Amino acid sequence: MFHWLEKNPFFFASAISIVISFAGLIEILPNFAKAGRPLVDMTPRTVLQLAGKNVYMKDNCMACHSQMIRPFKSETDRYGKYSLSGEYAYDRPFLWGSKRTGPDLHRIGNYRTTDWHEEHMKDPAKIVPGSIMPAYTHQFTNIADIETAYAEAVTVKNVFHTPYGPGIKSGKAAWEAYKPTVLAEAKKIAADMKDERVKSAMAEGKVPEVVALIAYLNSLK
Amino acid sequence: MGISEIQGYASFVMTIFLVIMLYGYIMYLYRSEKRGERDYEKYGNIALDDEITSTPVEDKAASQRHKEENK
Amino acid sequence: MQSNAALEYDYSLAKKFTFLTILFGFLGMLVGTIIAAQMAFPELNYLLGEYGTFSRLRPIHTNTVVFGFTVSGIFATWFYLGQRVLKVSIAESKFLMVLGNIQFWLYFVGALAATVSLLLGYSTSKEYAQYEWPFDIVVVLIWVLWGVSIMGLIGIRREKALYISVWYYLACFLGVAMLYLFNNMEIPTYFVSGGLGDPLHSVSMYAGTNDALVQWWYGHNAVAFGFTVPIVGMIYYFLPKESGQAIYSYKLSLLSFWGLMFVYLWAGSHHLLWSTVPDWMQTMGSAFSVVLILPSWGSAINMLLTMKGEWNQLTDNPLIKFMVLASTFYMLSTIEGPIQAVKSVNAIAHFTDWIPGHVHDGVLGWVVFMIMAAIFHMVPRMFKREIYSKKLMEAQFWLQTTAVVLYFTSMWIAGITQGMMWRAVDEYGNLMYSFIDTVTVLHPYYAIRALSGVLYLTGFIMFAYNIIKTMTSGRELTEEPQFRTPMA
Repeated sequence: MFHWLEKNPFFFASAISIVISFAGLIEILPNFAKAGRPLVDMTPRTVLQLAGKNVYMKDNCMACHSQMIRPFKSETDRYGKYSLSGEYAYDRPFLWGSKRTGPDLHRIGNYRTTDWHEEHMKDPAKIVPGSIMPAYTHQFTNIADIETAYAEAVTVKNVFHTPYGPGIKSGKAAWEAYKPTVLAEAKKIAADMKDERVKSAMAEGKVPEVVALIAYLNSLK
Repeated sequence: MGISEIQGYASFVMTIFLVIMLYGYIMYLYRSEKRGERDYEKYGNIALDDEITSTPVEDKAASQRHKEENK
Repeated sequence: MQSNAALEYDYSLAKKFTFLTILFGFLGMLVGTIIAAQMAFPELNYLLGEYGTFSRLRPIHTNTVVFGFTVSGIFATWFYLGQRVLKVSIAESKFLMVLGNIQFWLYFVGALAATVSLLLGYSTSKEYAQYEWPFDIVVVLIWVLWGVSIMGLIGIRREKALYISVWYYLACFLGVAMLYLFNNMEIPTYFVSGGLGDPLHSVSMYAGTNDALVQWWYGHNAVAFGFTVPIVGMIYYFLPKESGQAIYSYKLSLLSFWGLMFVYLWAGSHHLLWSTVPDWMQTMGSAFSVVLILPSWGSAINMLLTMKGEWNQLTDNPLIKFMVLASTFYMLSTIEGPIQAVKSVNAIAHFTDWIPGHVHDGVLGWVVFMIMAAIFHMVPRMFKREIYSKKLMEAQFWLQTTAVVLYFTSMWIAGITQGMMWRAVDEYGNLMYSFIDTVTVLHPYYAIRALSGVLYLTGFIMFAYNIIKTMTSGRELTEEPQFRTPMA
């Protein structure tokens, strides 16, 4: 039997496939339903926060920041309550990260303010002396893509039944109707900010990346 | 029986099954060599003598001819 | 088939992919050196505005090394040794030649486009799978082409028995295909939302903990099937061929193969220890990681024993030196990995620089050394010229070995220092250090690492120079050397 396998490339390849796929089948698939359940009373992120999450992904913050507080006293003392599986139920993709060059951000919304983030994104080393984080000044001039964030909300609502309200539906008209809601939320964030570039962009009805990012960071609690 | 129990049994059974197969394979390799049915070490020469003109360790064309003769 | 006097192996595809290996190797290591320097000297983040920050460049470094350098190395060696161990020329089939050329151009253009997309910030944020959906489709196409090409070549082979290297390349093809497909399941938002927003944007099919599980099942096994399996396949061909010694135990190589296939996939969840994935899965991940030492060392020891009685070759053939060092680093990183996968060690090591340290002793010491050795072996045969300079090879060897040692020692110290400082408490049970203390303390180690990057990159440039000189002005050979590669 063994020798026969070694000489028949097709069956040989099938044998390899079986051996390498069974771990995945047993390990991953059956837990999907269980691990996918959100916590009670959890709401999905707003469109502005999603746009901020996309800025977080675009500038790849996860290269240096984790979002996973492990159940150790040293971590809960430093960052807050340890992370629960259900808290991530609406995160597509998960952004746990694998490296902490900077601190964990899973509950950053509990102890940092809009104002702090604004100053920190401009010049991290000024706020935290010795910081090796680069300044992200381009986030003050780049405009966040809130339309794509809206498209993302529509997609997860339609495909995965993420509980978004009736206002989120496909099509240009629906988006135009929904846009003021996003801008209003952004205005609330921008009201706590001092930067002139942010203020003038907001006056034109545009949301700078940094505003969306801060909305997202503030929602991490 | 919950899904996690099925999962536990399935992984246990599969692991045991594959371990048996692996040990069976070891036994097979050594036994077939001892009985002189097959010399696995000669396959090592495939890498050493690999000119396009050199004779294959096991000739595909020859074994196909052999099959047809037996028909 | 008629016996034809002019029948020869066709190296045109192997040559093309060899060029790409060198090109992407240089790019990947250059970006790697830059981002290593940025961690020691943050001012270097501002060289390219928005596009030059550490965070934007890191995926370019990882993806260029994995999908640029390593994958073209795999293709190059396959199109070389695949023909030889199957004793068939790829030129015997027009179809396979055309297919191979399509694969090459699609790969070259696709890789460049994907790199630009990462630079612009298009990223799915899943490590080593950051490419957005159109590029994923290109990757799948390339992979399918390669699969057809492997199976096609096997189909027209003269040598009936499949040599062990072919097993490994087949497993590489199958494993990566399966992993890549499942992990990159994503839905383009543009089409579902009725034409809103950016057409390149997509969302993952999986959410939260599930996404993490699939990602690290992929992430871990992409290392298995991209950085381990094909590289073992290479060394099983090139070391015996270069030294003239058959594999020490062919049976052991077969056993390690199945052992590796069986155990490797289970170990993926060790990336998620102490996280929110189910406990039993974390324990499985730890346990199988330790078991994984057996098949890994089985292969490595088999390689070292192949040199039994021929250790003098180590002193007078630098190519053997490259390969022996590669298998030594393979042993080192396959014992280091399981150590990090032990739950109590992982509590300290996870999230620290020890992890990049581990990755790099594997990649710099094992993957890159082996691929460079393979190219040193192939180029004189493909271009029928002697290696340009043995002295340069020797110098490169020592320079890069020093670099790897500097890299992993500095990162071990940095990682353990940081891990211990994060958890240090004073006599009242309060945390002793603020986070920034644990960053500033690492500066000297980051500086050493940046230096090691510069050394390694210099070594790679020496390698590229030596190879290009070999192609253009090495002394011409009248006939193909059987074992040892001639060098000036």
